[in-house]
Amino acid sequence: MKSSIAFVLDGKVVEIDFDRSSQLTPTTTVLNYLRGLPQHRGVKEGCAEGDCGACTIVVGELTANRTIEYRAVDSCLLFLPMIHGKQLITVENLQELSGKLHPVQQAMVDAHGSQCGFCTPGIVMTLFALYKGGSRPSKDEIGDALAGNLCRCTGYEPILKAAAAACDGQGRDHFSADEAGIAELLGSIAPDGISISTESQRYDQPATVNECLLLMEKLPDSLIVNGATDVALRVTKKFENLHHIIDCSRIAELRSVSGGDRSLTIGAGVRISEVMELVRNDFPGLYQMLTVFAARQIRNVATLGGNIGTASPIGDSLPVLMAYGAEIILRSRRGTRHVKADSFVQGYRKTDRQPDELIMAVMLPRPSASARIQTYKVSKRRDLDIATVSAAFRVDLDKQGMVSDITLAYGGMAAYTKRASSAEAFLSGKHWDRKQVEEAQNLIDKDFSPISDVRGSAEFRRIAARNLLLKFWSETKG
Amino acid sequence: MHQQIPHESAALHVTGEALYIDDLSSSPSLLVGRVVSSPHAHARIASYDLTKAMKAPGVVAVLCAKDIPGHNQMGPVVKDEPCLASGEVSFVGQAVFLIAAKTDAQCRAAEKLIDVSYEPLHPILTIDEAVASNNLLGPARTMQRGDADTALRSVAHVIKGELRTGAAEHWYLESQASLSVPGEGDEMAVYCGSQHPSETQTLVAEVLGVRKKDVVVEVRRIGGAFGGKETQGNHVACWSALLAHATGCPVKVRLFRDDDMIMTGKRHRFLTRYEAGFDNEGILQAVKIELNSDAGAATDLSFAIMERAMFHCDNAYFVPHMHVVARVWKTNLPSNTAFRGFGGPQGMAAMESIIDRVARFLHKDTSEIRHKNFYGLNSNNTTHYGQTVEENRLPRLFDELMESSEYYSRRVTVQAYNAANEFTKKGLALTPVKFGISFTTTFLNQAGALVSIYNDGTVLVNHGGIEMGQGLHTKMQQIAAAELGISIDRVRVNATNTSKVPNTSATAASSGTDMNGAAVKNAIETLKLRIAECVAGMFNEKNPSLKTSKDDIRFESDVIFDSKHSERKIDFAEAMAQMVLRQVSLSSTGYFRTPGIGWDREKGVGTPFRYFAFGMAVSEVLVDTLTGATTLLRTDILHDAGDSINPAIDIGQIEGGYVQGVGWCTTEEIKWDDAGNLMTHSPDTYKIPTARDIPADFRVKLLENATNPNAIHGSKTVAEPPLMLGLSTWLAIKDAVSAVANHQIEPEFSLPATNEVILLSIDNLRGQMKARASKQVSA
Repeated sequence: MKSSIAFVLDGKVVEIDFDRSSQLTPTTTVLNYLRGLPQHRGVKEGCAEGDCGACTIVVGELTANRTIEYRAVDSCLLFLPMIHGKQLITVENLQELSGKLHPVQQAMVDAHGSQCGFCTPGIVMTLFALYKGGSRPSKDEIGDALAGNLCRCTGYEPILKAAAAACDGQGRDHFSADEAGIAELLGSIAPDGISISTESQRYDQPATVNECLLLMEKLPDSLIVNGATDVALRVTKKFENLHHIIDCSRIAELRSVSGGDRSLTIGAGVRISEVMELVRNDFPGLYQMLTVFAARQIRNVATLGGNIGTASPIGDSLPVLMAYGAEIILRSRRGTRHVKADSFVQGYRKTDRQPDELIMAVMLPRPSASARIQTYKVSKRRDLDIATVSAAFRVDLDKQGMVSDITLAYGGMAAYTKRASSAEAFLSGKHWDRKQVEEAQNLIDKDFSPISDVRGSAEFRRIAARNLLLKFWSETKG
Repeated sequence: MHQQIPHESAALHVTGEALYIDDLSSSPSLLVGRVVSSPHAHARIASYDLTKAMKAPGVVAVLCAKDIPGHNQMGPVVKDEPCLASGEVSFVGQAVFLIAAKTDAQCRAAEKLIDVSYEPLHPILTIDEAVASNNLLGPARTMQRGDADTALRSVAHVIKGELRTGAAEHWYLESQASLSVPGEGDEMAVYCGSQHPSETQTLVAEVLGVRKKDVVVEVRRIGGAFGGKETQGNHVACWSALLAHATGCPVKVRLFRDDDMIMTGKRHRFLTRYEAGFDNEGILQAVKIELNSDAGAATDLSFAIMERAMFHCDNAYFVPHMHVVARVWKTNLPSNTAFRGFGGPQGMAAMESIIDRVARFLHKDTSEIRHKNFYGLNSNNTTHYGQTVEENRLPRLFDELMESSEYYSRRVTVQAYNAANEFTKKGLALTPVKFGISFTTTFLNQAGALVSIYNDGTVLVNHGGIEMGQGLHTKMQQIAAAELGISIDRVRVNATNTSKVPNTSATAASSGTDMNGAAVKNAIETLKLRIAECVAGMFNEKNPSLKTSKDDIRFESDVIFDSKHSERKIDFAEAMAQMVLRQVSLSSTGYFRTPGIGWDREKGVGTPFRYFAFGMAVSEVLVDTLTGATTLLRTDILHDAGDSINPAIDIGQIEGGYVQGVGWCTTEEIKWDDAGNLMTHSPDTYKIPTARDIPADFRVKLLENATNPNAIHGSKTVAEPPLMLGLSTWLAIKDAVSAVANHQIEPEFSLPATNEVILLSIDNLRGQMKARASKQVSA
C-alpha cells in the first residue's frame, strides 16, 4: 500500500505525498490542486458542484491495448487520489509548442465561440474530449457532450458550430504523436492499492474486493464511494471533513461485465457512460433514462453502484431497474446475496445493504419480447437537472391485450423510489385501454402523498404522476 | 470596419491565458477575505462578540460596521445600503462582518467562532405583503397621454388582467470578486469586476474615508455581468478594500457561487395589472397599466428600472390613450438590481400579454393584431411620453420576417398538427422589440477616452467602457484602427482604469459602443489634426514648390499621404517616430456627450432616447401537455443593428440575449421560502438554458440596408434588446397551451412558463372544458 499518488501532468510524472504535503489532503479536489499551480489557472470554478462545467478537464486513461482514452470530467468533483495512474490534461496543454492553436481552439476562435471567456476553457476541454473520440459527432451528440457546460453569453450556437467544424472524425493532434510516450509513463505508475492517512483523514483505495471487504469490516463507519460525484458535494459545498473514505474505483472486479441470453450483469464500478453503451440496444428504457442522467462529465465518473448506493428519493437509475426486475448483488465476508431492486431501497437514503456489504453488480434480466418498458423524467430543464418526478413503467400484455404483468415505479413521489402498488393491482388482468388507465390514474393519487419543495409543488407532482401513466399508455397501446 | 474579426481576447480565452480576478497572481502576503452575512430576513442585531474569531488560527482581521473608517454606505443613488449592517439586518445574505485570513478554510473556521445573536423581526417577502403594509420605497409615479379612463368607457371591448413576472439570477460565470492592494499613504488599487469603475472608486473612497485621487479601480475583463455588476460589483470591491486597509495586505474576496446567489440582487419581480380597450378590429384605443416592482431592501437602481418599464410598456404599439402608474415596493430581500433590459422586459411582457389576449378574444392571429397596432411610419408614431419614433423599422422587420420565417404556412401546419395530436401541441408566436437607447438619467450620457500613439506606430486605447464579453473592446479596436487607417494588430485596448479616464458612466443601458466609440473617435480626431499638420509640413519641407494642406492628409492602409499628390506619403510607423522627434504630442483625450436628448421627469414627457433599437422574432415550440416539457423547434430573428461594426459580434449578442430571454421566460425560477431564504441558491436548482435548450433550428439575421444616423459609423447597439425577443417563446408556449382547449378558453399564464406553470395551466383548462361540457349536457 502506498501513501502517495502519481499521475502525469505536462508530460511528466507528478507525485504527491500527502504525509509531507501541508496544503493538500486526500479530499482536495483536482480543481483546487490545479488552481494552486501558477501555470494551470485556465481551469475555472463556476459552481463547485458539477453543474456548470467551467472546471472541465480531460483525464487520459491507459486502455488494455496501451492506447489512451480521453474523458471530459468536472475537476471540482474529483478527489486527488482518483487521478492516480492517469493523465491530467488542462487547457494549457492544448496549444502546440509552436504556439499553434489546437483544432478545437482554432474552431472556437473562428466561430466566435467565446464572449466573456470564463466558461471557455471548460468548453474547449469538452470539445477536446469530443475531438479525441475520433468520430464525426451528430448534432445530438454535440449537444449531449456540451449539456454539462453552461455558457451565459453566447446562446451556444457558435459553440455548436465550432464543435461540428473541429471534430473531423480523425482526432489527430500532438497528443496522438505523444501517446506512446505518455502510455509508457502511465504504465510506470504501479497499479497498487493506496492507503493515505493524514492527521484527520484516512483515504483507502483497495485494489481487490477482499481488501475492500476487510477494510469495511475494520472501519465500519467509513464512506464507500465509487465515483463520489454525490459525496464530493459534502466537501465542495458543505466543507465537511470526511474522516474515512473507501474508494472502490481501483477494484478491477467491480468493472467486469458478463451475461448471456437471459441476463446482463454489470459491475457496480462500471461508469454510467460505459453502462449506456452496454445497454443501448437491449435495454433501451435504461439507456433512455441514462441519457438524461446528469451530464457527460459526471457520467464519465459516476458509477451504477454509486448511484444505487446513494438511494436518493429520485434515484435516477432505481425506478428503471425496478421496471427491468433487476437484482442487486451484494457481497460481504459472510457471502453473496441478491436483492430485488424494488426491495433494495427501504426509506429515505436507506437501503438493504448491510454495513459490511459491498454492492458488487447489477443483474438485469433480459425482458421478454412482449414487455414494453418506458422511462420518464419530469424536470424543469431537460439536461443536468434533478427530476421533480421520474418514472419507469413496464407492462406485459397477453395475446388478448390484457395486462399480465405491470410495474409502475416512481421517483420523487415519496421519500424513496417506490411502486404505485394499488394502480398496479388494479391494472393487472385488465384490458390495456384508455378507460382502465384513466381509472388507474385516480389510484396513483392514493398511492402517493408527494411533498412540495423547491423542485415543484405537491399538486404538480400529483398531476405529472397521473399524466405519465397516460403517456405510457399512449406510447405502448399500438 | 464592419468586419467579422474575432473577439480581441478570443485566443486568450481558448488557451486559458485570459486573466480574471481570481487568477491574478499576487504577493505572498495575499489574504483571503470572507463576508459573514445575515441568516435572517429582518432582525435586530442584539449583540456580537468577535474576540474568539479574531484569535482563530490564520486570522488577521475581523471587521464590523464600527471598524469602517469612512461612511458605512454603498448605495449608488440613494444612501440606504450600509456596507456592513449595523443595528438591524434587512435581508438574508446582508453583509454583517468581514474576515481576512491566510486561507479560505481559516476564514470559514473563524466564522463559526463569531458570537452573534439576532432578535428576529417581521419580514415582508412579497409584493403582496408590501402592498398590504403600504411599504412603498418612494412615491408612485405616473406617465400618461390622453384620457384612458374616459376612452375605456366608450370602447367596444375591454379586457382586464394581472401578470406576474419572475425574478431572475444573472448567473454570470465569474462570480463577484475583487482584489484590493494597499499602496503607500492612502493609496488603494482595486482590481474588480465592476461595470462602473468610477462609482466603485467613489464608494471605496467613501468607505475608506479617503479621497478619490488615492483610489484606482481597474477592470481588465469581466466573466459576464448582464447588469449584475453595474452597482453590485461595488460591494465586493468595498469589502476587499476595507480588509486591505485594515490589514495592510492585499485582500481578495471572491464570492462562492451560493453566497453570490444569496447575497446579490436579481431582476425585479413585477406584478402588473392592466385594462385594455380596443375596437372590433383589435386596434388598441386605451390602456391602463399598473406596474408594481419588488425592489428588495434598498433603492439601488430600482427607480430607474421602473422608469424604463414605464417607457417600454408600450413596446412597439401605438396607444392613443395610455395611463401608466408605477409603484416600487420595499421587501426584505437582497436589493434587486440591473439585469439586461432593465425593466424593459417586464414592461413589454405586460403589453405583449395584452396584445396576445386581444387577438385571442377576437379569434384572430396574434401577428395580425400586432401588425395593426405597430407605431406608424408617418402617423401614430409618437410614444406615450411624447417622443417621435423615428427611423421606424417595425413594418420592414415584420414584412421581411413574416416571409423568411414562412409564418403563414407554418401557422397552417401548426394547426393541422394540433388537430391530429392529443397529447402534444405546437405553438407559434411573433414578438417585436422596440428599445430606447440612452440612459434615462440624461447626464449619464457621456463618455471619455485617452488614446496614446507610440513612436513605433502602435496605439493604446483607453476608454471608460468595460469589456464583459459583449465585444466592446473589439469594436473600440476596430474604430481606432479605422480612424487611423492602420491595421488592427497595431491597436490594443487597455484595461479600463479610473486613473486613465475619470468620471465615467457605467457600461450599461446598451450605450457602451455608441458613447465610448464616439469618445475614442474624438480623441483620434484631435491626434490626426496634430499629425496632419506636422506631416503636411514635412512634405512641404522636402519640396516647397508643392503645397500640401493639412486638410488633404489622409490615413489609410498604414500610410499617411496627400490625397491630391499621392506620391507624397509616409509609412505610419515612420511618421510616428518623426512626430516624437518633431515634438508633437501623441496622446489625447476624447469626449462625447449624447446630443439631442432630454426630458421632463416630472411631466413624463420629452425625448429620453437618442434612437430606438428594433428587432423581431418568430418562435415555434412543442409542448408535451402531459409533462409540461417544452421543446424549442425553431426561432427566426431579424434584428436591426444598423451598419454593424462587427456582424459576428452582433449576431453573438443577439443569439446570447435571446437565449437569456428564453431562460427568463421558461426554466429560470427564483424561489424564496417563508423566512426569506433563497431556495434556488445554486445551479442545482436554478436552471439557465443549456446547449440543448436552444432552438433546434436557429436563424438569426441582421436587417440589411439599415444605416443609423444617430450612432458611430451608422451602427446601432445590440446589447440588451434581443433578450426581450425571448417573449416570443413564452407566447408560443401559451399558444400551444391554448390549443389544448382549441383556443376557446384563455389560459392562465405567468412568467416564467416552467413545466409546472404549463401543467397547472393545462390542468385548469381541462377542468374548465369538463365543466363546460357537463354544462352543455345538462342544458
